[in-house]
Amino acid sequence: MVQATPLVHSAVSNSIKLNLSWVDILMIGIYFAVVIGIAFVARSRVKTSMDFFLSGRSMPAWITGLAFVSANLGATEILGMAANGAQIGMATLHYYLIGAVPAMVFLGLVLMPFYYGSKVRSVPEFMLRRFGKPSHIANSIAFAVSNVLIAGINLYAMAIVIEAMLGWPEWLAIIVSGGFVLVYITLGGLSSAIYNEVMQFFVIVAGLVPLTIVGLNRIHGWGGLVDALKHTQSAKLLSTWAGTGIGDVTNPIGANWLAIVFGLGFVLSFGYWTTNFTEVQRALSAKNMSAARRTPLIGAFPKLFIPFLVIIPGLIAAATFGNQLSADATSGKLTYNDVIPKLIQLYLPTGVLGIAVTGLLASFMAGMAANVSSFNTVFTYDIWQRYIRKDRPDGYYLTVGRWVTVIGVLIGILTAFIAASAGNIMTYLQTLFSFFNAPLFGVFILGLIWKRMTGVAAFWSYLAGIVAPAIVYTAYLLNNKLFETATAETLYGAIISFVTVIVLGLILSTFTTPKTIDELKGLVYGVGKIDLTKDVVAGDTAWYRSPALLGTAALVLCVVLYLPFL
Amino acid sequence: MADKTDPHRSDPAPSEMSDADKDRLVKSTRRFDLRRILGALFVVYGLIVTIVGIVDYSSDIHRTEGIAINLWTGLSMLVLGILFFVWDHFSPVPESDIVHSAEILEEEREVGEGKKIG
Repeated sequence: MVQATPLVHSAVSNSIKLNLSWVDILMIGIYFAVVIGIAFVARSRVKTSMDFFLSGRSMPAWITGLAFVSANLGATEILGMAANGAQIGMATLHYYLIGAVPAMVFLGLVLMPFYYGSKVRSVPEFMLRRFGKPSHIANSIAFAVSNVLIAGINLYAMAIVIEAMLGWPEWLAIIVSGGFVLVYITLGGLSSAIYNEVMQFFVIVAGLVPLTIVGLNRIHGWGGLVDALKHTQSAKLLSTWAGTGIGDVTNPIGANWLAIVFGLGFVLSFGYWTTNFTEVQRALSAKNMSAARRTPLIGAFPKLFIPFLVIIPGLIAAATFGNQLSADATSGKLTYNDVIPKLIQLYLPTGVLGIAVTGLLASFMAGMAANVSSFNTVFTYDIWQRYIRKDRPDGYYLTVGRWVTVIGVLIGILTAFIAASAGNIMTYLQTLFSFFNAPLFGVFILGLIWKRMTGVAAFWSYLAGIVAPAIVYTAYLLNNKLFETATAETLYGAIISFVTVIVLGLILSTFTTPKTIDELKGLVYGVGKIDLTKDVVAGDTAWYRSPALLGTAALVLCVVLYLPFL
Repeated sequence: MADKTDPHRSDPAPSEMSDADKDRLVKSTRRFDLRRILGALFVVYGLIVTIVGIVDYSSDIHRTEGIAINLWTGLSMLVLGILFFVWDHFSPVPESDIVHSAEILEEEREVGEGKKIG
């Protein structure tokens, strides 16, 4: 085949500085003007603390569904998954097809009736109802602390990219983006956050689609990409399940299929998507049970296709300048995380460039805003109202919520500055926090199917489930030969955490007294009845809105999308 | 404390809401429907990107090796923006939803105070 242009970029510059024209800057400006506008509109509708923290439980399913996937579409997700695409290739699909989507279906079909039906205002509150105060305090504090710190780490991650793309100094990027989040969440609360998440979703897609199309065109289509990868000896990047045999692990993740299915799929992803309040909060803001159950199910469909908009650019980068990518951020070379900004710089002309940059900036901020808007809810309702200042009028808690938002963002900004001077420690912290969901999922799932599980068992197994993977992780830091890759470590860490919770939960429950059946109504599978048709409106019964149908369709698509990349 | 400073406490109690009040509430809620905001944003973006696509046609083709990417993206965004307006026009938020969420204000306050599960 005669090629008009060289396929492989022999020497791309290390810089990802973008050349923005006034048109691109105008589009960024328009977006942020709309964000602030939305905040003021949302402000005028906030009349109660429930309006501020849970949008007054009034949102339609399409909005909460898109916000559900978008709240997770922050800096770490988009840049990180594209980095995975360049590093481990199509195997990145596991995060979506065996991880996120089945977990979302499980949340919508199985767990949501318990959450929404029990009318709790947060996930820790569910913990309180099912297991009592000790577990509730532990869960609330773990969530509040980890979330505000993660917000700060995300803020720092975003500041580095803004610095590299736009040339702003880090401190300015941290303060400006933190300031934006502060203004729009303090004014409009969760409604502001959700509206922006939906807007962000469409803009980032409008930026990533042209990037993928132009990238594929420049490499002469999918066939050209496959040829180029084979040419650079990276053909392994094209398969998902090859080399995952037990005892015969040759895949880039460094884990066998059992660890992938159980660790990444069952424990880590189910833990994240079904017990992380940042996600569940979006569904709790839905207007009725039907909309709440459809929230993660509607979110599942975009989630099935987003991977192609990040993995394919990652693969294109691997094929065209993969040999110049480094995993080490201090090497001064391009890192895997730079893949998306680099491709934007190489391929997008003024116009779509502005859209793509707007989408990235918006997604960075939305990610942080999602952390902050769930942090303030848990802090106000679960910590302040429950244990510090009870029985005040509603307006008091609304005011507290606004102040907690301000303080949360300020701590986030502070964390970002600390991260700037101790980047690595922060990455470690984030990995540690990722373990918080796995034990919580273990506790929830056992407590959900087994009415005999006690509060004492929940509390101690939850703590043990946090400590166990932390030990494994520390051991890995001391001796990195224990696991093939860092990703493999997280999978096994999650499995160990989950097993610890189940075993300890079973043992401790047999020695302690469970709650009475009466107290467990609507909180345990098969105990009491949950009204799935409460507040149902005419349109909710349409066949295409059936949760079972949506869930099944999403799972079938999971299998189908794997087929071309076995 | 916040009660005195909360301007919304002076709203007419929901039960006393007249038809004119309801009408105003419905109109003001629908005016800022998210679909209209999205529609407006995408129409504006679509127009800007389409114009860039026409003006920079030849340099776009060169950069992307054959695709008028701004033109295609701009027109697609324009269509999407219009579709949001169409959707909003043909299926506005039901009046009953809007009035209902204004009517349960007291109940919502009690839930917020943690006094009532609901």
